[in-house]
Amino acid sequence: MKKLLALSLSVIMVLSMVCVAAADDGIVLKVVAWDVNTTTYYAAQKEAFEASHPGITIEYVDVASQDYGTKTSTMLAGNDTSDIFMIKEVTDILNWNKAGYAEPLNAYIERDGYDLSGFVGMESGYAFDGVQAGLPFRSDFWVLFYNKTLFDDAGVAYPTNDMTWEEYKDLAIKMTDASKGIYGCHYHTWLSAVVNWAVCDGVNTLVDGEYSDLAYFYNLYFALEEAGACMSYPETQAAGLHYSGAFGNGNIAMLPMGYWYVSTLISNIKSGDYAVTDWGITAVPHLEGVPAGASFGNLTGAMINAKSANKDAAWTYVAWLCGPEGAKATASTGNRPAWVAEDVAAVMASVEGFPTDEASKAALLPSMVSIEIPGVEHASEIKTILNEEHSAIITGEISVDEGILNMNDRVAEVLGQ
Amino acid sequence: MAQRSFSAGPLIRPDNHKAAAFGRIVLYILLVFLSVITLIPFVWMLSSSLKLDREVFEFPIRWVPKVFHWENYSLIWTKAPMLMYFKNTAIVAVSVTIIQTMTSSFAAYAFAKLEFKFRDTLFLCYIATIAVPWQAYMIPQFIEFRSIGLYDTLLAIMVLQAFSAFGVFLMRQFYRGIPTELCEAARIDGLSEYGIWARIMLPLSKSAIATLVIFTFIGTWNDYMGPMIYLTTESVKTVQVGLRRFIQENSSDYHLIMAASMVSLIPVSVVFLALQRYFIEGIATSGLKG
Amino acid sequence: MIQSVPKPAVGKPKGKLGLKRTLIALSFIAPNFIGFALFTLIPVIAAVFMSMTEWSGGADIKWVGLQNYVNLFTVPQRYIDRLENPNFFSILGLFFEKVDIGIALKNTVTFTVITVPLTMIFSIALALVLNKAVKGAIAFRAIMFFPYVSSTVAICVCWNFMLMKNGPINQLLMLLGSNFNKTWTADSSMAIWAVIIVSVWKSMGYYMVIYLAALQGIPRELYEAATVDGANKWQQFWNITLPQLRPTTFFVSVMLVIGCFKIYDTVALMTGGGPGRATKMLVTYTIDEFNASKYGSACAIAMVLLVLVLTVTILQFRMEKKFSAD
Repeated sequence: MKKLLALSLSVIMVLSMVCVAAADDGIVLKVVAWDVNTTTYYAAQKEAFEASHPGITIEYVDVASQDYGTKTSTMLAGNDTSDIFMIKEVTDILNWNKAGYAEPLNAYIERDGYDLSGFVGMESGYAFDGVQAGLPFRSDFWVLFYNKTLFDDAGVAYPTNDMTWEEYKDLAIKMTDASKGIYGCHYHTWLSAVVNWAVCDGVNTLVDGEYSDLAYFYNLYFALEEAGACMSYPETQAAGLHYSGAFGNGNIAMLPMGYWYVSTLISNIKSGDYAVTDWGITAVPHLEGVPAGASFGNLTGAMINAKSANKDAAWTYVAWLCGPEGAKATASTGNRPAWVAEDVAAVMASVEGFPTDEASKAALLPSMVSIEIPGVEHASEIKTILNEEHSAIITGEISVDEGILNMNDRVAEVLGQ
Repeated sequence: MAQRSFSAGPLIRPDNHKAAAFGRIVLYILLVFLSVITLIPFVWMLSSSLKLDREVFEFPIRWVPKVFHWENYSLIWTKAPMLMYFKNTAIVAVSVTIIQTMTSSFAAYAFAKLEFKFRDTLFLCYIATIAVPWQAYMIPQFIEFRSIGLYDTLLAIMVLQAFSAFGVFLMRQFYRGIPTELCEAARIDGLSEYGIWARIMLPLSKSAIATLVIFTFIGTWNDYMGPMIYLTTESVKTVQVGLRRFIQENSSDYHLIMAASMVSLIPVSVVFLALQRYFIEGIATSGLKG
Repeated sequence: MIQSVPKPAVGKPKGKLGLKRTLIALSFIAPNFIGFALFTLIPVIAAVFMSMTEWSGGADIKWVGLQNYVNLFTVPQRYIDRLENPNFFSILGLFFEKVDIGIALKNTVTFTVITVPLTMIFSIALALVLNKAVKGAIAFRAIMFFPYVSSTVAICVCWNFMLMKNGPINQLLMLLGSNFNKTWTADSSMAIWAVIIVSVWKSMGYYMVIYLAALQGIPRELYEAATVDGANKWQQFWNITLPQLRPTTFFVSVMLVIGCFKIYDTVALMTGGGPGRATKMLVTYTIDEFNASKYGSACAIAMVLLVLVLTVTILQFRMEKKFSAD
C-alpha cells in the first residue's frame, strides 16, 4: 500500500509539473482524435497551423478508431476539459450537441464574419435547429475505383464518369473471369457499400422511414452475386476480408468505395504491399433520371468542448482547419477536405501517386453529394435497425421485400416514440 | 467426446487389460484431436504474424507464408512504443495480482469460515456486481475516478482490477472445500483467526492461489476496455490498447497485430507454465488412476 | 494430519455471535471490501438509479421512474393489430419475435442453457483425464488453456473459416450424411450454434484449470478408505469426487451462467449479432443503446440482466446450502 501511495503521489507530481511547464509555452490545445499516428493529415495540419500561429501548440490525444464513440462519450459525460473533439460520425455530434457538450459556433462565426461559402452547404450537416455545433474539415464522397491492368488485359474500355448502374452491372459481369479468379466487382460488408446509393438523388434519405427504394440495389447485388461477379457476402464477412486487401490483391476489377481509400492505396502501392499497380477512379454509376456524378458521402469535423478553458484559441484553430488554408494541408496528404475550391482540387490531383488521366481528375468534382445518414433525432437507432435487417437480407435469410417491410415497420416504431 | 472417454476409463477392471489398453488409445486419439483443433488458431496467429497484411485473409488459408516476413517482429517495436506499453502492463499486472491475491484470500476466509451478520447479503452484493455489464456503470465510475484524480493514471487500472469480486468468490469456494474441523481443532489449540488463515488455510490452498494468480495476471494483462477508457496519455498506455494502433479506420495491419500478440503471449505463458506444477502435487496421481 | 472423514460444511461458531467475532470477520473483509465498495459497488448502485432516468449525457437528467422498463417490454400496437386472433399467447409470441428485448432474452437464455452444461461436462472430463498420470499431461493442459490466452480475434477468424460454406466442418458433416452447406454465421438457425461451439471450446480449458486445482484439495484418505470398502472407480467418482468438488462446481456454474448471460465479444466478432437479430444478445443490446447515448435505457437492459442472473444465482446459492447441510 505504501508503494501505491508513493506511486500515486509521484504521478500527481509529474502531472502537475507537466501543467506548469505547459503554461510557460503559451496555449496548448488538446485535440481528441483517432488514428493519430497513422492518419497522414494530422501531422500536416499541426505543422502548417503552428507555423502560421506562434503561441498556440496542438497536442493530439489518440483514441483507437473503433472505440472512438464509446471513449469520447464517456470522457465528455465525465466532464473532460480537452479543448477540441474531432467528429467521426454525424450521430456523435448530434448526441454531443443534445447533451450540451458542444460550444455553439454561431457567435464566433458572426463576430469574425467567417465565410462559409466554401462548404457549399455541407456545414448544415452539423447544424441542429440553427445551432452550428461543429464545422467539417474533411468530406469523403464515394467513387468507383478500378484496376486499369485488368481492363487492359481483357481489352475492355475503362469505366466512365457517366455510367448507369445497369451498364456497371453488365461491365462487372463482362470483366469476371472465374478461371483466373478475377471478380468484376467487390462489395464491402457495410450497408453503405451496397444500398446507400439510393440517397444519391438528393430526395431519398435513410432516415425517412421509407425504404422501398433500396430494393433496386439489393436486387442488383444479388444479380451480380449469382453471376459470380462478386464474392458472396457470407464469405466476405466470415473470412473477415477487408476491401483494402481485396482490391490490393489485384484480382478485383471495380470497387465502389469512399474517397479515403485513395491515400491508403497510394501509400500501400508505394511501399510495395499491394499487387495492384495501375488504377483510376470514376464517379459512381447513377440511376436513370439522376444526374451523372451524383454521390453520397460523410463529413469529418471538429467540435469545441463547451468546458474548454481556451475557447478563443480553439476557435482560431477550428476556423483555420476547416477553412481554405487547413484544406490545403489536408489535401496535400491525398485526403479530400470539406472546403471546395479550384486550388484545393489542384492540390489533390497533384499528390504523388494519384492517377494522371483526365477522367480521374474529373471524378474529383462530383455534381452533387448527399449525406450518408443525416444527423436527426434517433439516427443512431435507425442505423442499428437498418444494419440488422441488412444482414438478414444480404445473407438471403429473408427476402428483399420482407426485409424492407421490417425496416419500414421498425423505423416507424422508433420515429413514433 | 472427452466425457465418453472418461466414463469408459474408470469402469475398466484391472483384469481386462485389452480393454484398458484400447481405452487408453481412444483417449489419446481424442486428446490429440482436441489439441490439434485447439492449436489451429494459434498456428494461424503465428503464420499471419509472418505475412504481408494483404495475405492475412487470403482464402483458402495459406498456412506457410510464401515469404517469411521476420521483419514484422522488429517493425512492431519501431512502429509503436511497444516496450513502454509492455513496461506499463507489467507494472499494472504484477501489482494487481499481488493486491488481488492478498486481499481476496483474506476476505474469502471470513466469507467461508466465519459467521457474522449480513454475511450472505454482502456476498451476494459481490456476485451481483459481476453480473452487471461494465458499460452500464462505466460513466458513473468514470466520473468518480476523474473527480478523485485517478483518470489517466496507471493507478486507475490497478484499483479497477484489484478489488474485483471474482477473486473473493473463487477463494471462498476453495476454502469451503477445506474441512471446518481443521479450523475448530486449531481454535481449541488457541490459534487466533489470523493464525488459522496464515498457518492452515494458506498452505492448504496453494493450488487455489496459483489459479487466482494465473487468472488475475492474465485477466489484467489482456484487459482492453479498462485501459481504453481510463488511459489517454501515450506514456501510460498498455499493450492491449497499444495493439489497436495497428487497426485503423480504413485499413489495418493484421500481420503486425498478430506479431505483437505473439510477443504479448510470452509473459502470460511463462506465468501459466511456472505455476502449473501446483496442479500435479497432492493426491493427483492416486485419485483416479486407471 | 486429517483424522476424521471431513464433511464440507460451514463452521458454526461454538460461542455466541459476539461483537468481537464480528469485528474480526470484518477486519478480514475490510481491505478488499473498501476497494470493492468504492470502485465497483457505488458505480453499480448509481447505474441502478440511472436506469430510472432519461439521460443522454450533460446536465439534463430527467427522472422517469419505470418508464424505461415499460418502453423495453411494450409490444408495438402495429404488430398486435396484424394478429388474426390476438390473445395472451400470440402477443407473448410477438414479444419474443419482434421486440428487441424479447429477442435478446430468447437468444441469451438459449445460449446459456446450452453452453453452461456443455462447458461443465467438458471441463470436468478434461480435468479428470489430465489429473491422471497420462503421458504428456502437462503439455495437454497447457494446450487446452491456450484458447483462453490467445487473441479472441484470431480464434474467431479461424472458427469462421472452419464454419464456412465448403469449409472443413461442413465437409465433415456432409460425409456423415448432412446436407447443410452454408456459412454457419450467415444462417439464422446455425449462427447461435457457431457462437456456442466457440464459447464452449474457448472456456473449457479455463474451467478445467479451476477443477484441476480443486481436485488437489480432495484428501487422498477418502479414496483409500473407499478402495478398502471395495468401491469401484465409478462409485468413487460419484460418491467422493463429485461431492468434494461441489463448492467448485457452484463457483463454476455461477461464473459460467454470468459469463454466458454477458456474452458479447465472441458474438461481436463472429456474427455481429446477425443475421438479422438471430444472435442479438442482452449485452449487444445494452451497448447499442449506450452508443445511441440512451444511457437510462442501456442501464435498464443491464438491470434486466442483473435480475436474471441474481435469480439464478440465489437458486444456486440455496442449492449449495442445502447440499452442504446434508
